[in-house]
Amino acid sequence: MSNDTPETRDTTGRFLKRAAEKAHDLHTVSDEGVHPMAKILFGWTETKHIGAIMFWGLGLLGAFLIVLDLFVNRHDYFTFANATGFYGLYGFAAFTFVVLMGWPLGNLLRRGENYYGDAGGPPADVDPDRPQGPADAHPTYEGDE
Amino acid sequence: MPAFLTALNPGWLLILAGIVAIFLPMRRIRQSIAIGAPLVGVALLALADQNVNHLTASVLGLDLVLYRVDGLSFVFGLAFLIAALLNAIYAWHTDDRVQDGMALAYGGAAIAAAFCGDLMTLFIFWEITAVTSVFMVLGAGTRASYFASMRYLGVQILSGVLLLAGIAYVYHDTGNIGLQVFEDLAAPGALLIFIAFGIKAAFPFLHNWLQDSYPKASVVGAVVLSAFTTKLAVYAFARMFPGQDSLIWIGAVMTCFPVFFAVIENDLRKVLAYSTNNQIGFMICAIGVGTPLALNGAVAHAFADIMFKGLLFMSMGAVLYRTGTTKASELGGLYRSMPWTTIFCLVGAISISAMPLFSAFVTKSMILSAVAHAGLPIIWLMLMFASAGVLEHSGIKIPYFAFFGHDSGKRVKEAPFNMLLAMGMAAFISIAIGLPAVIPGLGYEWLYNLLPYREEAMNYQPFTFDHILTQLQLLVLATFAFVLLKRFGVYPPEKPGTILDTDWLYRKMGFGMAQWAGTVWGKVGPAMTAVFFGLTGRAYDRIEAAFSPRGELARGGLTGAMAVWTAALLGLVLLLAFITVG
Repeated sequence: MSNDTPETRDTTGRFLKRAAEKAHDLHTVSDEGVHPMAKILFGWTETKHIGAIMFWGLGLLGAFLIVLDLFVNRHDYFTFANATGFYGLYGFAAFTFVVLMGWPLGNLLRRGENYYGDAGGPPADVDPDRPQGPADAHPTYEGDE
Repeated sequence: MPAFLTALNPGWLLILAGIVAIFLPMRRIRQSIAIGAPLVGVALLALADQNVNHLTASVLGLDLVLYRVDGLSFVFGLAFLIAALLNAIYAWHTDDRVQDGMALAYGGAAIAAAFCGDLMTLFIFWEITAVTSVFMVLGAGTRASYFASMRYLGVQILSGVLLLAGIAYVYHDTGNIGLQVFEDLAAPGALLIFIAFGIKAAFPFLHNWLQDSYPKASVVGAVVLSAFTTKLAVYAFARMFPGQDSLIWIGAVMTCFPVFFAVIENDLRKVLAYSTNNQIGFMICAIGVGTPLALNGAVAHAFADIMFKGLLFMSMGAVLYRTGTTKASELGGLYRSMPWTTIFCLVGAISISAMPLFSAFVTKSMILSAVAHAGLPIIWLMLMFASAGVLEHSGIKIPYFAFFGHDSGKRVKEAPFNMLLAMGMAAFISIAIGLPAVIPGLGYEWLYNLLPYREEAMNYQPFTFDHILTQLQLLVLATFAFVLLKRFGVYPPEKPGTILDTDWLYRKMGFGMAQWAGTVWGKVGPAMTAVFFGLTGRAYDRIEAAFSPRGELARGGLTGAMAVWTAALLGLVLLLAFITVG
């Protein structure tokens, strides 16, 4: 587009459909395969230091909720649940316990992918146009020699 | 309304539509039927009078109640109909007559079972759900899914056989096959029916058919499966075993143990299968408590679960459809290609985690309150523990490892529009029933209004300051734990592999023992045959040596034999003479 052309027309003199183009852009996937909505909805997950922001943000929010608990006289059915921050600390402890148990349990219970001889491929009704790696080319199925 | 319409069970309508669909090659007409039938079903259900037998029959002296709606079955039937509608929309891009028809008939059978009024009809539709649902697994078309579907069918039919045996005992004992509440498991047949329901509800140690088959089902099939079978079992328990004490502990254990498996499982659809177990546990526990508040909670949570668990299965189905895998180790960063799917998955994840303003917040809290009211601190602590666990595997793990986390580099297309539409509708329901009732009758009050104990439900206030604060504390600090563990690198990495569960007992040990028995028989059998033939052969040889034309007796040595016989007889006579004289 040359500089002397009015902004509302392109080089051939056709009017630009700006609104329509914008709408078109919103559902046209970029060359890198990124959906335009991804930037709008989840672009923030790629900002710098997002890990630190999440960490401190959630930590402070959690601390605030526990402090808030100090000023609230809750009436739980169980006396132990009335303790300040009981729910928060119990949730934190339970979550941590479950995740950390993943280490020993994984070592104890994880076997090879073909343990039952049925690693299998994807089901028949997946997208035939999906990107396929070389690994997909020769799926092995249960009972295959 | 014409008489035949008032007597038409919506489930029967769906089954009939399903049978038609199987034979209908015109794709769009078939799919329109699949979408239309549940809509008509909802209309029929809305117009049906409650607590009236709409259709009865008498067969072989058994009084069957084929269509009856009441407060309990209404919610389940409505949820099943909505699920059938969403499934049909979700399947719009496929062209599979058998899957379309069987999915419709499967949903129909679950609905018909919910709306029947006697055990025999329940049994028949119980079995139809088993037979139709197996096609959802078979539809995947892989060898693994074939073997899994055969195991699935075996377990489901076992459940039906146990149910039938239980019904026989009940009929023999009481002469009545109407749906009834069993207060004592020692009553004739009660335990058999209990176990039959327990198999379909996937009780601990009876649960593995679920984790075995659902992740191997087709993309659409897993979504269809997630709605009906287990929730039908929940309905059956709520109908026939409310207040059964053993259910409290069974349910509590059910909420806790899948949490550990879900953390280490790599296949995200299998994680959802464990998550199904965990959510059913909440309902089963509430049914065990058996108070009106608890039963309301169980029913409401079942309704909410059908929506958000369906939504999560749909989002993972979309990922599977586009990428060909749901293994966490191969996924990550998909929000770049599938932002809408990501949003819907997040709605499902937040809903199941019971975040305020989302559905489980207003349903699960009834269960937790009921357990607390009943004075069961240990059970309550177990359910709270499981709530943190749900947040871990369904709230964070599913969306994080599929759509965020380490970028797998996979760049695919967004899910087809029909999938997005179905997900959007499920997401809408999950949010709508979790909202505060700013407008009376909408928000959570819409669902509470439908519950079997309506008065109690409407008196329950989920949006109290205490409740919101405590729930936010739980969720925020548990999420903080995730960020903390990730930050310090102690979160276990997702590794490909098979996680052993109780199915090891029959797939490895049982199969191994059967194989061993085969090997042993392969050796013992011929050995036993050899011994038998050795003995009989030797006996034959002896007999032949004596009596055959070539034998001893035919050889003409008869004179010699006469002398021997004479001497023997003489000896005998002499002996007798001695004895008599002496």
